[in-house]
Amino acid sequence: MRALCWTGVNEVSVEDVPDPGLLNRQDAVVKVTASSTCGSDLHLLDGYVPTMMAGDVLGHEFVGEVVETGPDVRERRVGERVTVCSIIGCGRCHYCKEGLWSLCDNSNPNPGFLETANGHASAGIFGYSHALGGFAGSHAEYVRVPYADVNAFPVPENVPDASAVFASDAVPTGWMGADLGEVGPGDVVAVWGCGGVGQMAALASLRVGADRVIVIDRFPERLDMAAEMGAEILNYGETDVLEALKELTGGRGPDVCIEAVGMESHGTGAQYAYDRVKHALRLQTDRGISLRQAIHACRKGGVVSVLGVFLGVVDKFPMGAVMNKGLTLRGGQQHGHRYIPMILDRMSKGEIDASPLLTHPMRLEDGPRGYELFKKKQEGCVRAVFRP
Amino acid sequence: MLLAGAAAVAGMAIVRAARSAPPNPDGWFAVTVETDPARLTGPDRPDELARIAERHEVRISPAPGGRGSEIAVREADGETRDRVRKLKQLLETGEVLLVDRQPEGHRTALGRVGTPAFRHLTRKGTR
Repeated sequence: MRALCWTGVNEVSVEDVPDPGLLNRQDAVVKVTASSTCGSDLHLLDGYVPTMMAGDVLGHEFVGEVVETGPDVRERRVGERVTVCSIIGCGRCHYCKEGLWSLCDNSNPNPGFLETANGHASAGIFGYSHALGGFAGSHAEYVRVPYADVNAFPVPENVPDASAVFASDAVPTGWMGADLGEVGPGDVVAVWGCGGVGQMAALASLRVGADRVIVIDRFPERLDMAAEMGAEILNYGETDVLEALKELTGGRGPDVCIEAVGMESHGTGAQYAYDRVKHALRLQTDRGISLRQAIHACRKGGVVSVLGVFLGVVDKFPMGAVMNKGLTLRGGQQHGHRYIPMILDRMSKGEIDASPLLTHPMRLEDGPRGYELFKKKQEGCVRAVFRP
Repeated sequence: MLLAGAAAVAGMAIVRAARSAPPNPDGWFAVTVETDPARLTGPDRPDELARIAERHEVRISPAPGGRGSEIAVREADGETRDRVRKLKQLLETGEVLLVDRQPEGHRTALGRVGTPAFRHLTRKGTR
């Protein structure tokens, strides 16, 4: 089959690779019909995640059709159209049972690196380095799905691939950002980053009743997309974000600050130059500009909800602000299984439409160009989605 | 691959160096398993646990808060830790999750040579 592989820093290519098969009795094989680029892929692409090997198949956000099931698969059926959660859960360890699926004890067979780096390993993720399990990704014609009964979700007939593909990751991740912040009526929410996840965090906050949602980015087309949903917008290239947020919130600061940028945060001024140089020289693993800003902006006693992917240590972390303002800092890879059935149901009822994120539908063969457009945010690209 | 591998090893070395004390070779490696302690202690305990117990001191105790059982194994090297984790997978999910023999693109010559060490590093850590 054909698959999009990482071949080196900022290099991908479409190659012939062996077809996947059933490796475990609870596996399914899914024929991929749409597979999205994701901002978190850029950390792999840029070489900041150290356990990638040339030849690894990328992609973790996808929808497709079940074409083969293992003998111990009970719920899923051949021919079913499914969204597969980007995070792999086993469904039976303590964490999965508690709904903390991205902390699954059993779905990452390569825990050594993360146990050393973080103290404990987190769940496996499709196409997301060997430290996260070494699973082949979904930018391919077929993908093997472990524990298929709990990781693959049937898609209602009236939900198109263009929306269902984002029920795999961007929508549940965004939803979790609002959920971790316990967003509700009366809240003012600020979201850093207007990529797919940030857009969906803003949408989720509005759906659960936030009074106001303010999004922060520098790309006008992305800000316009958020404004279309009903969010207020701040362009950090033109506005002092901290001043503006205070003014917009009567001096309090947002009740919930959702960080949807992560380890390659962009910014302006001396702070950005400092972080950029240290990151490029590998003297720090993560750039924390938007995280620092979210902590600084957050109201006293508020919640900072971190969705952006961070790998290791953040330099100049403002612990004084966290402590003295009594902030709650929450984060995590998405516990997608908790939200995906509800999200697909809302998509079916027309309450969530994620399809505007899909700005660039492309053939798998055009994968290298898709990543180029996505990485450089050219031609108004929010998400390039491949149709193998 | 070489750069990534070097960065990985360097990163792990830094983390290890930052610890207050080196890992104790006589220490215990412990996992918590969602199963009743009785399933791990009687004559019907899993064969793999019995095999591990032939070479290592093994301690079984109930986990607090209804979280099942704690299995602690003394002097567990990387290989034994991998076996204990697989035993936990088997007890909780009924199978040992496999990731080898998956689709992959062209590996570089260096990648092919370095794969065994790389797999060891990501699977079993630096022990």
